[in-house]
Amino acid sequence: MWDDPGIQDDASRRLFRDSVRLAARLASAAGIPRTASLLLLRGDILACVAASDLVEPGARGPYRVSDHPVFDRAISSDRMVDDPPLVILPVRGDDRVVALLVIRGEGRLAADVRGTLQSLAGIVGLGLSQAAIADELLQEAERSRRLERLKSEFLNIAAHELRSPLGIIRGYASMLGEGVLPDAERHVALSRITEKAEEMARLISDMLETARLETLGLELELEPLDLLKVIEDAVRAMRPLLGRKHTFVVTAQRDSMLVVADRRRLTTMLTNLIDNAIKYSPAGGTIEIGCDDDGRAASILVRDHGIGINAEQAHLLFSRFGRLVTPETSHIRGTGLGLYLARETARLHGGDITVTATKGGGSTFTVVLPLA
Amino acid sequence: MLEDDVKVLLIEDDVAAAEMYRLRLVADGYSVVIGRDGKEGLRMAVHEAPDFIYLDLRLPGLDGFEVLESLRSAPETMHIPVIILTNYGEPELRERGMKLGALEFLVKSDTTPAQLAESVERAIAPRSLPAS
Repeated sequence: MWDDPGIQDDASRRLFRDSVRLAARLASAAGIPRTASLLLLRGDILACVAASDLVEPGARGPYRVSDHPVFDRAISSDRMVDDPPLVILPVRGDDRVVALLVIRGEGRLAADVRGTLQSLAGIVGLGLSQAAIADELLQEAERSRRLERLKSEFLNIAAHELRSPLGIIRGYASMLGEGVLPDAERHVALSRITEKAEEMARLISDMLETARLETLGLELELEPLDLLKVIEDAVRAMRPLLGRKHTFVVTAQRDSMLVVADRRRLTTMLTNLIDNAIKYSPAGGTIEIGCDDDGRAASILVRDHGIGINAEQAHLLFSRFGRLVTPETSHIRGTGLGLYLARETARLHGGDITVTATKGGGSTFTVVLPLA
Repeated sequence: MLEDDVKVLLIEDDVAAAEMYRLRLVADGYSVVIGRDGKEGLRMAVHEAPDFIYLDLRLPGLDGFEVLESLRSAPETMHIPVIILTNYGEPELRERGMKLGALEFLVKSDTTPAQLAESVERAIAPRSLPAS
């Protein structure tokens, strides 16, 4: 009986079904059997959403309005059309015709029956408006349920990400306390503790920054900067994380590139991109960082030769709680917030970040920022 | 107990964690070998013939559960005691690990290296006890 997937609410179903049965009974009051159907209008298409039991097979549509002048007339005039064997009553929802109540049967309807049917069409219109509102509310509820689910999944990931450096910090601290470490290993322990504490601090700051961005929006501390210096700072900060397998290759086509930007956030954005390049090229290789400008905008490239991603999944990289987990990446640590924050930072500066990547062929992130 | 004779295999991809555990176990006189991913771990379980294995769950390629299943199904490795050592503490993962035959399930951030070393003693104790 229900052809329209958009209407799922049981109360609306009952209202429409009862309405068409009532309409059919009212119209049959003079003794000639009639059928009634309710056709919902979507654009140029009419589809039957409820019909009384006597409806003929094949009479439920969908109908293209332009193919049926009689339907078209009822809709455009917004008045009852009497065209034997059909009587067509427009159903208004808000400020336009949203459906047609169609009575089929021989002979003319008495004036009082027509009046009653018109009132019924009015009630159905109200019902349709209510159903549309309910539908919107349902969708909104579904959206927030989805977001809640994503958030709790994210909290789960974040907790695991914090546990990993925490385990190292507690482990080395307890070994220092036990006194089991040889002298030569003590400084290694201390530098590991410092390194892991910094990793935790970065994770926490990413989470706080995301929360702030959601609730208050970020306020940038803008100052004139040479972008090349910012890149240098970011590369210097990340060099200790390089290990033996990776090398940096930094190239600049200009002697300086002036931008007005938030130094701290821009540095974080670049370190996030470099961190990402290191993490997702587990076999090692060069990480190329290049910059250039076209007179109006500066562009910074961060290219790795790592595992890459499917081109069609690339847009998911920047979603807030959507770290891309595939069999190749499931063991790689990360919350996924780094890339989200990086792109938000670029956008707050009037720029953007894009990615080109192929599975197995590495990834290239391009930051574009307007020049001062 | 002659701990010099005891060889421990750590299957762990986190370099910092593996190094830390190695240091602590070596301090107690164990000899330690490290497998950086599931496949390497399985290979070493056969070739190094360790007395005991620590197994991480989140690993590149094969995950810890897959490694444990393989260890349990191969005649050369089915007798080696395995302790799962992971950042995941979910009860359902613990249950799955124990069902697959792990001896214990330890959460890294709740386990100090000293406690870890104690777990080796527990794992190998039955074999070092007198036959009576």
